[in-house]
Amino acid sequence: MAAKRIAQSAINWSAMAEKVSESQRPMFNAFKLKSDQYLRRVMANPENPPAIDWAYYQTRVAVPGLVESFKKQYEGLQVPYPADKVTAQVDAQEKEMQVSIKEFVAESNRRVMDAEAELKNWASVLPFSQMTMEDYAEAFPDKAWNAANPTFWPHDEASQQEPVKAEH
Amino acid sequence: MLSRIALKPVRSAIQPIRMTQTSATSNAASAATTESPERDLVNFPRPVRQEYPGKVRMGFIPDEWFQFFYSKTGVTGPYTFGLGLATYLCSKEIYIMEHEFYTGLSIAIMGIYAVKKLGPATAKFLDAEVAKSDAEMNAGRDMAIAEAKARIAAEKIEQDRALGMKMLFDAKRENVALQLEAAYREQLVKVFSETKKRLDYQVEVQNVQRNLEQRHVVDWVLRSVRAAVTPEQEKATLSQCIANIKSLAQQNTVRI
Repeated sequence: MAAKRIAQSAINWSAMAEKVSESQRPMFNAFKLKSDQYLRRVMANPENPPAIDWAYYQTRVAVPGLVESFKKQYEGLQVPYPADKVTAQVDAQEKEMQVSIKEFVAESNRRVMDAEAELKNWASVLPFSQMTMEDYAEAFPDKAWNAANPTFWPHDEASQQEPVKAEH
Repeated sequence: MLSRIALKPVRSAIQPIRMTQTSATSNAASAATTESPERDLVNFPRPVRQEYPGKVRMGFIPDEWFQFFYSKTGVTGPYTFGLGLATYLCSKEIYIMEHEFYTGLSIAIMGIYAVKKLGPATAKFLDAEVAKSDAEMNAGRDMAIAEAKARIAAEKIEQDRALGMKMLFDAKRENVALQLEAAYREQLVKVFSETKKRLDYQVEVQNVQRNLEQRHVVDWVLRSVRAAVTPEQEKATLSQCIANIKSLAQQNTVRI
């Protein structure tokens, strides 16, 4: 009976539900259902068994010594707390998951930084209504007209071709 | 010619004169751009195209001309100067009012009428066109900015969700504990109920035994009493009963 006893659920399910994405909602619901079943199973029985009224039986049972021996045996009996074999598995799983979470967060932060760089870039671009053609070429060198890299009419991507190497 | 630009307070001696006006928006726009640190944005702000014309008086005379006179001549100065100049030009026949002057007058009247009548509608139409083309130009930029912001928000949410995984493992551990606790409680209750069942059995055995004994004693007593009654005693009892009935019958008839 060394293990700590648990009396009620300490999990904040509503806070957890907020963090579940739509695609994982059915899985979450199934998990919650199962957990509720476990909790119900615990709640079905009292935390400690009700006391036996030994005095009542003492007066009612005529067999000499029977109640005393029952009492002694009953009080001497220690119900062992069931051994916990799976928490270690859960811990291992969590450790594994921590690694992949860390990886995901790092990856995600990189994507956020990319987006922020893009935002910064857009903030540095002049409003289009104030731009000259030079400003445009400076801001979008790949889209503006470029003397070093002329394009064929009608200057869309489909009508471009490799420049032919002329021999003289 | 008197240019409005020439009359403006000069910001810097070497500032190039342009046909553009810089306003407060120019500073905001240039502040957003990334310029090299050597660029002096305070004295040389980025020129911005003027959207609306400057302030005028009497429909066509720039306000700056009046401001120019105010500091030197007071508020009546510009009018005095204008009227004096016109009088001088006309009286010396520098400006000659030949037939073209009257043509000009009638054309000016027609022009003013046309501007007053058609101007607002035309301005409205053109403003709408400008707004449309601006929106078209900015659509790509706005979309890219909104998309990047949405992407950042989505990533933040996903990160939050990933970190929420800890709660899932807490729940898993708790589930394990709950199941252990349930099994333990079931065992405790089982021990209790089994013990109680046996004790109750003993009590019930006692009760049944006592009931049987009681019934047996009652039966024995009855049987002994019946065996003890003799025929004479029975006869005497019967005759006594009949006598009692008779006396009862008499009493009842008298009452009727």
